Amino acid sequence: MHSIFDPASPEAMAVTRLWWWLFGAGLVVWLGVVAVAVRAGLSAHGAPGSDEIIHDAPGTARRVQRVIIAAVLSTAVILAAILVYSFSVGHALAQHTDQRLVIEVTGHRWWWEVRYPSADPTRIVTTANEIHVPVGVPVQVRLASDDVIHSFWAPNLNGKRDIVPGYASALWFRADTPGVYRGQCAEFCGLSHAKMAFFVIAQPRAAFDAWYAGTSRPAATPTDLLALRGESLFMHSGCALCHNIAGTTAGGQAAPDLTHVAGRRTIAAGMLDNTPQNIARWIFDPSVIKPGARMPSFHFPADEMNAVVAYLETLK
Amino acid sequence: MTSLRAETSVADLPTVTFGQRSLMWWGTLGFMVIEGWTLALLLVSYLYLRQSVIQWPPAPSQSPALLMPSINLALMALSVVPAVVVARAGGRLDAPAVKRWLVAHSLIGVAILILRWWDFQSLGVRWDANAYGTAVWMIVGFHTSLLLLDVLDTLGLTLFFFVRRQPVKSFSDAADNSFYWYFTVGIWLPVYLIAYVGPRVI
Amino acid sequence: MSALGNSTIDGGALAPEAMAQDAGALERTWSTKPGVWGWVCTVDHKVIGRRYVITAFAMFLAGGIEAALMRTQLARPENGFLGADRYNQIFTTHGTTMMFLFAVPMMTAMGLYFVPLMIGARSVAFPRLNAFGYWTYLVGIGLLYVALLTNHAPDTGWFAYVPLSETLYAPGHRVDVWAQLVTFTEIAALCAAVNIIVTVFKMRAPGMSVNRIPLFVWAQLVVAFMIVFAMPAVAAGSTLMLAADRAIHMQWFIPARGGDVLLWQHIFWFFGHPEVYIIFLPALGMVTPIVETFCRRPVVGYGAIVMANIATAFFAFGLWVHHMFATPLPELGDSLFTAASLVIAIPSAVQIFCWIATMWTGRPRLTVPMLFVLGFLFTFINGGITGVMLASVPFDRQAHDTFFVVAHLHYVLLGGGVMPLFAGLYFWFPKFTGRLLRNGLGKWHFWLFLIGVNVTFFPMHILGLDGMPRRIYTYLASTGWGPLNLLSSLGAATIAISVIIFLVNVVLSWRGGAVAGPNPWGASGLEWATASPPPPYNFAYPLIVSSAHPLWDAHAALPVATGLRTDRREVLTTTTFDARPDARHSSPRESIWPFYLALCMGVVFIGSIFRPYWVLIGTALSLAGLFGWGWQSTRPIERERIALPNGALVERT
Repeated sequence: MHSIFDPASPEAMAVTRLWWWLFGAGLVVWLGVVAVAVRAGLSAHGAPGSDEIIHDAPGTARRVQRVIIAAVLSTAVILAAILVYSFSVGHALAQHTDQRLVIEVTGHRWWWEVRYPSADPTRIVTTANEIHVPVGVPVQVRLASDDVIHSFWAPNLNGKRDIVPGYASALWFRADTPGVYRGQCAEFCGLSHAKMAFFVIAQPRAAFDAWYAGTSRPAATPTDLLALRGESLFMHSGCALCHNIAGTTAGGQAAPDLTHVAGRRTIAAGMLDNTPQNIARWIFDPSVIKPGARMPSFHFPADEMNAVVAYLETLK
Repeated sequence: MTSLRAETSVADLPTVTFGQRSLMWWGTLGFMVIEGWTLALLLVSYLYLRQSVIQWPPAPSQSPALLMPSINLALMALSVVPAVVVARAGGRLDAPAVKRWLVAHSLIGVAILILRWWDFQSLGVRWDANAYGTAVWMIVGFHTSLLLLDVLDTLGLTLFFFVRRQPVKSFSDAADNSFYWYFTVGIWLPVYLIAYVGPRVI
Repeated sequence: MSALGNSTIDGGALAPEAMAQDAGALERTWSTKPGVWGWVCTVDHKVIGRRYVITAFAMFLAGGIEAALMRTQLARPENGFLGADRYNQIFTTHGTTMMFLFAVPMMTAMGLYFVPLMIGARSVAFPRLNAFGYWTYLVGIGLLYVALLTNHAPDTGWFAYVPLSETLYAPGHRVDVWAQLVTFTEIAALCAAVNIIVTVFKMRAPGMSVNRIPLFVWAQLVVAFMIVFAMPAVAAGSTLMLAADRAIHMQWFIPARGGDVLLWQHIFWFFGHPEVYIIFLPALGMVTPIVETFCRRPVVGYGAIVMANIATAFFAFGLWVHHMFATPLPELGDSLFTAASLVIAIPSAVQIFCWIATMWTGRPRLTVPMLFVLGFLFTFINGGITGVMLASVPFDRQAHDTFFVVAHLHYVLLGGGVMPLFAGLYFWFPKFTGRLLRNGLGKWHFWLFLIGVNVTFFPMHILGLDGMPRRIYTYLASTGWGPLNLLSSLGAATIAISVIIFLVNVVLSWRGGAVAGPNPWGASGLEWATASPPPPYNFAYPLIVSSAHPLWDAHAALPVATGLRTDRREVLTTTTFDARPDARHSSPRESIWPFYLALCMGVVFIGSIFRPYWVLIGTALSLAGLFGWGWQSTRPIERERIALPNGALVERT
């Protein structure tokens, strides 16, 4: 589950270990202080029911003072230990290697643009909301925002990094276990902040290479008649103004790249499983799923909707 | 209730005091600390914006002109004189002297306000052009609001002294007004240095 | 002149007939005029303070209703109770209400009511400023709640991060409402702060030297200084920066024009972190007198607690970057802020250990206030510990902006702020009203509140670590967050019930509770040396103090100073450190100008949301008000005794 209790990378593991130490220390301190406080609150000295004001004997005052000083010193020692441990974990997490896979992620309202840069233009991959990484390889995610502050957070893999316009930020992780790791935007970014998830899919090297090769290819022309009709509707209904499908005339940059949309597990930034019915639901009225979505509604009649969906389904 | 026993009498204590024996002085000090600190925060913000860029002022803005602001700065330094005289005269309960010098103080204050127009012109940049323009307009503008308040305060006090017979407490208020004036002039100095001289040296 | 004339300094007891005559004259001199005019124009700090406390508590209820709405929406995945837009307005209003309209005003209100009483003064230093502060606060409430009811409530969070709150992403007036609300509450808080500082410095009872000041007053004094240095940051940020960016196209936060997005966060959190200690320290200041009274002994470590307050205040200003650990700031500074965030736990720990020691060596009686003190320890310490966890940068990067932080902040604010506040309300209710709150209902309130707070917020720690971010209006069922959210919402219902029980208790007891008398608890502070509720003049004669617990000193009769006038409003001022009588000051009568000026502030700041020219109109109207205020101060008074700067004493008519 997408939780820090389930680390899948050395980065997340280091923090989880730190957490358990903090929790243990915290539990011990809390139990100790509360127990003493309750005991103190239930104590009774002197004649019961007496209202007389108690004044300290000189010895008592000094003894109490010594106990308090000891308690304060113990607190300081615990805090110092936490400082040292925390600093060492932070320091270790800040060490990075040169051998890494660079992925560029741009936060938009309310989806994630994912790009694998390459010196070779035929090997640049652009996708959305789903990040594939090879297992065991350090990954550097370079973060940018197109609009407001977002925050990239996949708890199984590392802590979060805010994406602040005007600032460069990056997040590192190395997924050591294959799996599907969910993440979600963690900085309030408007109406559909709650609807901005993503998935990091860690695959063995061979599977990752296969995915990469497939995704860097342009879209194949459909052969099925329904899909061809759908392609035509797609190009002429305005979709191409915002969406990009490599290998076609659809070159819009304002919305998720759809070249290989059918191969993704989810649509709408992790909000819907990628099924034909959900695609149709989404196209029909995006703002029902994502309030404030910038994509307009497309009330295609049923046959046209089927065609468009059939076309999108060919984009594997 | 327990019975009470008279231990001392305060009937002989003064009813009008000056300086830190007076509550109004403390109120004035509180206002000065708050406004001064706000200005300090604005100055720090200006410097924060400055440290993240290389070119300052950023192109195409230029450094502000120095002539008129320097004249106004000199006038402000001069204005401390009538303020000091008012405070001293107030401490002597010398009503005619207080009135004379309050008029002088008011006139110089108004002159400074008028010259403030040229202080803004000398900036040579609009507040909405870039962050530099924004920051410099805000620090000069914020000080202007304090200056305006102080001049209006002084005018009001002058009016009171002329229009009706003043209670003795007003002499203490006149001294506090001068106190506030020293502050208004004093905090202009860092603003002047940062806004007008700054872009040439930092 | 007092009926006792230039009175005896021979230690003689005051005659009852003379005292009654004085009391009658003082009552006439200090009472607020009756009727609506008196109600609007009053400058009595107790009338204003009580009004302030009631208004702030109403804001607690409003914020609670907003919370209930939020918890209803989040109780189930993909719930349709509140849509995204409404939810965003409500969570923003909840935070804004609780932080700006409830927590700080409540603490300053308790200070404005009790500080003069606790230091033996007749009034605050600036009674009209006090009234102005309250009315300004009320205007702010009107602004926010009219906006909420007309679908214009701010919707970018109580912290209004840019660029989301800039015009491009937040068009319309919602964010401007937020920015101006901050202005009103900031003005009110600063007025209260200046009043408290000058009152405590200059108006303490003769003999109340610095080491005899009650710890409640110390806390209020330290917090007043914090307000002076923290509030200007949020005011500058919200009004001079964000509102200016929005209204007149300034470029503070626009990266393309040289602005800096993180500048907003620095400015906001430079205020925001001290803000939580501004809420927390006065609450701690309430704990000491309660623990002392119900354990029948002076607190252990008076000096240590004073130093702890001061240390906390200082450190509080050095922590703000810990709210920004997830941003791409250079890592170098992070450790410094981690260290400071850890160190600040120590002074709080000192205070807690002192109270535990006081209970341990005292004779505790578990009255309702004491139960709330124990509940505070139980709950706040948990929040303090999660705070220490969040100080660690690597851990914070996982927990930041998740429900873990929501849990932490509510544990410290409800545990460390509201529980001591409830303890204080039960403790001082008899002084406010002359009646005692019912014990039975009090205990129900306590236990349901304690259980409710823990059931609501404990699960949130787990939810946060399980991946649930903050400020989301819904979540998918497949995340698995449903069951703990439902549990949390049931806890919220429990809190609501407990607060309703408290309200019932207040309503029943306000007129119908057991009569309290001046000192029902046998407490030691000066506020318990006068009637419940106190007469308009607080004390007929300034009490002379020779210890930190004046009412616990064995006295045949309380020593007082005579000689203050009874035919006009006169207060005694004393020297700053050792509180020797220094001068007599005349205190203002009722005035319309504070109310009028607050309305003018409304015109200036609310008008500015719509058109810039309202600023000019409002300012011009304000000038008339300032003129009137000043004019009122210049009413000639016969026969003054003047202490000139050169030391001479002269008399003038």
